[in-house]
Amino acid sequence: MLSPRWRKMLRDAWLHKARTVLVVLAVATAMIGAGALLDAWALVQRVTSATYRASHPVSATIKLEGVDEALLAQVRALPEIFAARARSSVFATVTSNGTRVTAELHALQDFEAQDIGRLESARGSWPPRDGEIAMEKSALELSGAALGGSISLQFAKNPARSLRVSGIAHDVSLPPGWMDHVVYGFVTAATMAELGASSSFDELQFVVRDTALDRDAVRRIADKVRLLVESQGKHVSGVDVPVPGQHAHAAQMDSLMMTQGAFGLLTLLVASFLIVNLMTAMLSGQAREIGVMKTLGARAGQIAAMYLAFALLLGVVAASLAVPAAIAIGRPYAAMKADMLNFSIDGYAIPWWAIALQLLVGCLLPVAAAVAPIMRACRQAVATALHDPGIVVAGGGFHVRRWIAIPGISRPLQLSIGNAFRQRTRILLTLLALSAGGAVYVGADNLCSSVRASVDLLFASQRYDIVLRLADPQDAAAIEAIAARVAGVERVQGLASVAAHVATADGMPGNAFAVLALPHASPMLLPTITAGRWLNASDRAALVVSRALVKDEPALLPGASPRLLIDGRSTEWTIVGVIDAGPQKLAYAPLPTLDERRSDTRVSSLLVAGGDSSAAPALDLIARLRTEFDRAGVPVAGSQFVGETRRTFEDHLLMVVQFLGVMGWVMIVVGGMGLASTMSLAVLERTREIGVMRAIGARHSTITRMIMAEGVVIAVLAWLVALPLSVPVSVALADAFGKVMFSVPTHVIPDAGGVFRWLLMSVLVAVVACAWPARRATRIPTAAALNYA
Amino acid sequence: MVTLFAHNNTRSECVISLRAIGKNFPTPMGTFDALANVDFSVRRGEFVAVVGQSGSGKSTLLNLLGGIDRPSSGEIVIDGERLNGLSENALSVWRGRSIGFVFQFFQLLPTLTAAENIMLPMDFGNRLDRRARRPRALALLDRLGVAEQADKLPGALSGGQQQRVAVARAMANAPAILLADEPTGNLDSRTSQGLLGMLSDLAREGQTVVMVTHERAAIGHATRVLTLADGRIVADEAAIHA
Repeated sequence: MLSPRWRKMLRDAWLHKARTVLVVLAVATAMIGAGALLDAWALVQRVTSATYRASHPVSATIKLEGVDEALLAQVRALPEIFAARARSSVFATVTSNGTRVTAELHALQDFEAQDIGRLESARGSWPPRDGEIAMEKSALELSGAALGGSISLQFAKNPARSLRVSGIAHDVSLPPGWMDHVVYGFVTAATMAELGASSSFDELQFVVRDTALDRDAVRRIADKVRLLVESQGKHVSGVDVPVPGQHAHAAQMDSLMMTQGAFGLLTLLVASFLIVNLMTAMLSGQAREIGVMKTLGARAGQIAAMYLAFALLLGVVAASLAVPAAIAIGRPYAAMKADMLNFSIDGYAIPWWAIALQLLVGCLLPVAAAVAPIMRACRQAVATALHDPGIVVAGGGFHVRRWIAIPGISRPLQLSIGNAFRQRTRILLTLLALSAGGAVYVGADNLCSSVRASVDLLFASQRYDIVLRLADPQDAAAIEAIAARVAGVERVQGLASVAAHVATADGMPGNAFAVLALPHASPMLLPTITAGRWLNASDRAALVVSRALVKDEPALLPGASPRLLIDGRSTEWTIVGVIDAGPQKLAYAPLPTLDERRSDTRVSSLLVAGGDSSAAPALDLIARLRTEFDRAGVPVAGSQFVGETRRTFEDHLLMVVQFLGVMGWVMIVVGGMGLASTMSLAVLERTREIGVMRAIGARHSTITRMIMAEGVVIAVLAWLVALPLSVPVSVALADAFGKVMFSVPTHVIPDAGGVFRWLLMSVLVAVVACAWPARRATRIPTAAALNYA
Repeated sequence: MVTLFAHNNTRSECVISLRAIGKNFPTPMGTFDALANVDFSVRRGEFVAVVGQSGSGKSTLLNLLGGIDRPSSGEIVIDGERLNGLSENALSVWRGRSIGFVFQFFQLLPTLTAAENIMLPMDFGNRLDRRARRPRALALLDRLGVAEQADKLPGALSGGQQQRVAVARAMANAPAILLADEPTGNLDSRTSQGLLGMLSDLAREGQTVVMVTHERAAIGHATRVLTLADGRIVADEAAIHA
């Protein structure tokens, strides 16, 4: 049986059940937000670290002509190598529902290999046989094909071939096809030949034995393999070494989760303000009871234990509500995140530590928040406590009332405004809670505008609508003339390109990137310079690099003179500027210099600007261009509508922004509950005052309006506080987002609409939050209110 | 019958001893001496009434006796314990063991029943076996004539009943001294007389009672009357019973 003191605590909680329930719900809401993120992070972390590593991801890829068994055997014999395989990759075009989509086909020497880049069969048969294709599962929908059906593929100028979709495979090392707008598929070498591509393997991939090696160490091994290949007279055209053991998007997702996690913690902090308010009000109301209990022999520790146990009880109830809800939300959220990484969540069992952490935080948060007010109350001298009148109305609003005593404002409204400032600590915590929610909401809104504006800026530099990728290099003037004949083409320009690597100090090649070139003063490009300058007519071996490339190769800053490996030759260049090109790792060079250093004047891509850049006319123009090029006998390997690329890019960025906005909503809900709690305490404190006002003729509607007005005053103040707070939040979000999501956005754009939407929402939250306290105020009989002590 | 008292013998034993007690409070107009050079002692089983006008120092004296306030000067020894050196925590423990308080406004905890209110000090003191607490609470209520109210909340009791429950609560840990601050101040005259008679009975049975009052009628029940004026004892006399 419970002892009287614990029974007292339970009955006190029941006595103030509405407020207690409000606090429990607020803590639970905050915990659901933070817990769902933690659960999702734990599930995604498990698959990204465990599943990805279990697939034995490729440590490096070396591009060369003709990988044979003898070479593979020699590479496998190296002590640093765990496994090696031969692969070939080509780009083709898939025609689905009348639209053409780029396809990336891979042929593997051994589809069943378990020790390197393991592929898993998701459905259907595996591996694909000759004349069949196994689709990567993330690209199936994009391809428009179905398992058991057929798909039309065209490679270069060869006729389109129909392949049977025999199976669905999963390759965790590939980004999601739907995200990259590429149809990934696996075929045999014989099928490659059937499509018109080479049947020989042109990529040598290997996994290093020591998986703890860093990228530089793996590069050194890759260079050793390169030298081995070259010693056999084979030409190496590229070496690619990804960050070891890390999925291409895993770091971004981790950072995103951490950003959201920070908001989760902020929401918990906001909820703790609510607990401080509840406990302070409860202890004020029971000051005399505490004095009596001390008089009866209770030690400060015994009393503190009672109230801390009450706080713990709130936490236990909140945690028991929040943990299952967080799991229910965290699981689909994890599935969505995993989908963005092209992972599958194999099991949805939340790790025990994630649940234990939530339970611990849920139980201890109210206790931690309650410690200060409880200690303050317990330290009060007995004599003072015995004479404490309990909940009192502070007179702090008097000065404010005098301050705002201007003609035109009714006396009840003046009183409401003054009332808002009577309990300064409580109002401060309530304001902080509401304004923190507002700052995050406005910050997320600003981020949304920033993302749109930054993407606008990014794509504004591309003053063309269509990119045609040619199957074979062509003379620029000749293909420009073909394109110019097509109706609707306004401008056209060939784009020269070559793959390059930064040569490191020890002569090893870094990762590949594209060096592009257009004629000087081309109208097709209006780059956004972030450092240094753009190319001018007198430049020779000058380079302008993209920010994404600098992120990968930090030495490529203006003034630097790196050596680049182009077609196996090392030449020196000077960096003159940095441009914003979104996620693309590329550099621009003067056209004559690039032609000279690649020993070629032909181009492989064509940039086309049409009169109308909206989707339908642009797609029509692509069809006309393809027809014209077919007629001229120049095969087109692929086409890209810039508007569609932009839409896909922006959609992905905004999807992440919206997740951030959800945390703002959670904080607004918790802040609203805080306001409701504050207003219910205000009504309780002023019960007698309300009785007096009713005794002298105030109607229910007047009392209701006064309480609503007080809440709205607090909400407007919170809005005002949120405005300056949202500036650092927006900057921090834009900065974090820029680092996380492909260096976009780069500019903080305040969104005035969002600021006023938040004002409207604040007022609505205040009206809803005050409805219950206002109703309560009008329900107390006047006589009882006058006698309230 | 329940054992009400911790000490029910040696009536000559001194249970309260105050030596040169002074208590002052800072005010905007300077220091205010609530008590000045107060000396007195009380023997076990005495029923002492402390009287005087408002502001004479009666409540301050009672607070010092109960260890809920500290003297500015002088020494207080109660039931063998020198209070001056005790910490706040030690004072709480000592109060739970040695002092029973009866307040003017009863101060029963509103969310606990009458019996639970009485069990609360036992709970804090933790000297009595857990299973013995409710029987003792019921016995005390029975002794004070309100046994049938045991499971009612204070809000359901009359003023007189609440004050009897408050006295029962004060006796919960069988304290050496019962301190009562205007115990009849919130009761009608008939109920007041009943309560005072009950306190008088307790004193006759060996319970030391110190009661602050400003009611003439209450004085008649005490065995000794201390009169305070301006913070000093101006009269200390045996009560003359009618």
